[in-house]
Amino acid sequence: MPGYNRAELTAELKVLASSDSERAPKEQIEAAREAAGDSGLAREAGPETTALAGKRSEVLGAVLKVIEASLDAGAQAVQVNVETEGDSSRFG
Amino acid sequence: MTSGMPTTPTRPRTPVSTPGKVGEHTVRADGVPKVTGEFEYSSDLWMDGMLWGATLRSPHPYARIWSTDTSAAEAMPGVHAVLTYEDVPGRKVYGMEIPDQPVLAWEDVRYQGEPVAIVAADHPETARRAAEKIAVEYEVLEPLTDPEEAMSEEAPQLHPSGNLLRHIHTVHGDAENAEADVVVTGEYEIGMQDQAFLGPESGLAVPDGEGGVDLYISTQWLHVDQDQLAESLDLPPEKVKLTLSGVGGAFGGREDLSMQAHACLLALHTERPVKMMYDREESFFGHVHRHPARMRYEHGADRDGKLVYVKARLVLDGGAYASSSTAVCSNAASFSCGPYDVPNALVDTYMVYTNNPPCGAMRGFGAVQVCFAYESQMDKLAGELGMDPVELRIKNAIEPGNTLPFGQEMPRPAPVAEILGRVKGMPLPEEKEMMGRDLRELPGGVSNVTHGEAVKRGVGYSVGFKNVCYSEGFDDYSTARVTLQVEGGEPLVRVHTAAAEVGQGLVTIQAQIARTELGVERVSVLGADTGVGSSGSSSASRQTYMTGGAVKMACQAVRDRLFERVREEFGEDLDGLSLDGGEVFSEGRGMLAPLDELLGGEEIEETCEFHHKETVPFDENGQGDAHVQFAFAAHRAVVEVDVELGLVRVVEIATAQDVGRVMNPQALQGQIEGGIAQGLGLALLEEIQIREGKIQNASFTDYLIPTILDMPSVRAEILELADPEAPYGLKGVGEPPTIASTPAIVSALRDATGQELARVPVKPEQIVGIAEKPPREPPQAGSGGYSDIGRLDERSET
Repeated sequence: MPGYNRAELTAELKVLASSDSERAPKEQIEAAREAAGDSGLAREAGPETTALAGKRSEVLGAVLKVIEASLDAGAQAVQVNVETEGDSSRFG
Repeated sequence: MTSGMPTTPTRPRTPVSTPGKVGEHTVRADGVPKVTGEFEYSSDLWMDGMLWGATLRSPHPYARIWSTDTSAAEAMPGVHAVLTYEDVPGRKVYGMEIPDQPVLAWEDVRYQGEPVAIVAADHPETARRAAEKIAVEYEVLEPLTDPEEAMSEEAPQLHPSGNLLRHIHTVHGDAENAEADVVVTGEYEIGMQDQAFLGPESGLAVPDGEGGVDLYISTQWLHVDQDQLAESLDLPPEKVKLTLSGVGGAFGGREDLSMQAHACLLALHTERPVKMMYDREESFFGHVHRHPARMRYEHGADRDGKLVYVKARLVLDGGAYASSSTAVCSNAASFSCGPYDVPNALVDTYMVYTNNPPCGAMRGFGAVQVCFAYESQMDKLAGELGMDPVELRIKNAIEPGNTLPFGQEMPRPAPVAEILGRVKGMPLPEEKEMMGRDLRELPGGVSNVTHGEAVKRGVGYSVGFKNVCYSEGFDDYSTARVTLQVEGGEPLVRVHTAAAEVGQGLVTIQAQIARTELGVERVSVLGADTGVGSSGSSSASRQTYMTGGAVKMACQAVRDRLFERVREEFGEDLDGLSLDGGEVFSEGRGMLAPLDELLGGEEIEETCEFHHKETVPFDENGQGDAHVQFAFAAHRAVVEVDVELGLVRVVEIATAQDVGRVMNPQALQGQIEGGIAQGLGLALLEEIQIREGKIQNASFTDYLIPTILDMPSVRAEILELADPEAPYGLKGVGEPPTIASTPAIVSALRDATGQELARVPVKPEQIVGIAEKPPREPPQAGSGGYSDIGRLDERSET
């Protein structure tokens, strides 16, 4: 029963881990997940994917931190998909 | 009667008329087929050439998956597909509010029964055995099962941003500094109740041959299923078409996806129809349950019994995934102080992730848990003040214009004092002599465990309330398409919505509304599907309000177009046009024309969306006009209790409920009696027993639901105080009977036994006063029995 205040913005971040990095692919993904978790906005969305949902400014701020953490851990790339509240309004 | 003549039983005559209009007793079309076993439920779906799906579930409440080997299953003859998370082409998680639940687990499993892999085979037994052959290597982890512990900093984080799913801090007035003459405190607990719908989860997915899939399913909300499925199947919504099949009860347990995505994945993968059907045991793992809760309360009042403040801390166990927990949290916070005028309140409501089974929607939705607690507190306060408990409630009853603790002004009508007065005023059932009674009229029934020696009678009262429709800013709506045409020489109205008939009588109500608005006897309510816009969910007591409102609106639009045509034909100055008996009337000129003549071969069709009034989310202090409508019911329970054996017989439930407008008296009676049965179940019988995150009683042998022998007679008084903002003035009626019936029964038990009874369901050992000193181990066969563990009366002494 959707009744909760829907998130203004949702960003899905998929970490493409590098096999050439010093850190193992799993650790690269874990680094992204930890950074996302620290934001307080995160939930798991797939084996390599984490979603951030919340206010626009909070989400956009957190997105940068997750990307930074992923790259620092040696990730090859981070795919980002951002949806506004309007995109998810089909529910109902 | 003539002696010697054979007698034929005469069926009792029910005051019904078919077809009926709004307010009339109207027989439900699905009633007789359901009773005779002819009704087609989704579990009866069948298609030639179909495959059967089965699900491999985690046996562990918390574990890490290191590897999954499907080769042995794939090699089995008759197996057509074995799928894991890697085969989910789109979004790998789902969820109505927060998509956090894996379609199939990839790394962590967070509750016992979480789906890990699915199989399609040509026989259900082959599918089941193949699922068993899938080898999953788990690292078993210590489950986190205590919600208080889950909120501690040391607890492992079950989800990336922690275990606290939602916290609502409600500040109303100044409870911290409010001073009271009398203060009562209490801690209350409610167990995990199951919806216990009789038709387990089932459905049939059929590939459409063009890359899409058609799903025939028993659910509560077709469009929210469609949206979630489209995301996970990576298909546009229009390629995922859903049709409602026969639903064997829901009560909130079908709001989330269960086997929908799995059946569709298997069907698309194999390009064959796939049927999935859970058995009873799997059903306990396949849907969400009512949230268990621990609630600590402090009530302060002056010496006259006027409430001064309420402080509360509410902790609800959401289990492993979000489901609709955030909305349940909102309701628990909203209704935490009861339908009373509370000048100061400070309430903290927490919703927490654990490794227990996921919890979500169930009839009463957050209002049930808190009602048990606040009504227990009101009884305790009345005892402390030496006041009659009903008088105390009436003294504090909220009235229109008062401000609720979450800042919303109580709209009218809000007849809290009146319904309490009504139940108080109803005559009590006759108290028969205990000794020598028919055993069926004693606690324990025909088990013949008492002859009435230690049976005492108790009477308890309770009142509760709840929101109707969705809340907190959600733009809720329902869509209806209505067509007026002539078929076979007679006018016919077709009504098409996506609203789920889950047993509440919605199809009948839609037909009643169409007959009322268009004056046509023949109404055909088409099957619900996604071929028309969303009707929202059959939950929150909202469908008659919302879809009833949409059907009314669409009928009125059809009528307006018809009257335009009449005016074109008979004169623009016509006034007072109306429809009745398939004919159009004018106030001045009487009958103008029959509909078949007016319409000829044409049809008039209108599609309308009905929206309720706007609501707003809570602010940081838990304040906001969050709800659309409030519904109230009061209950009086009369019980007889064997205080030595802990056996209970509920003698009678009396209730008074404001329904705004009675739409179908027969359906209303069904909702009231059914809701009370579910409330009685929670009071005395129903609890999913969980130990270390594992369900102990996943069957109807061990999970007890009330039978007709447990049900008391129900005495009901109905108030029809119209809500000016609602269609026909109606109020939702499905949930209020469940909310206050539980605390009324427990209150009556307290009256009979003198025990505190702070937890439901109430167990016999609580009634006889040994709950605090349970035996360490039950007596084992061959042991010294109770001589080893202490006699019951010895353990009940302290």
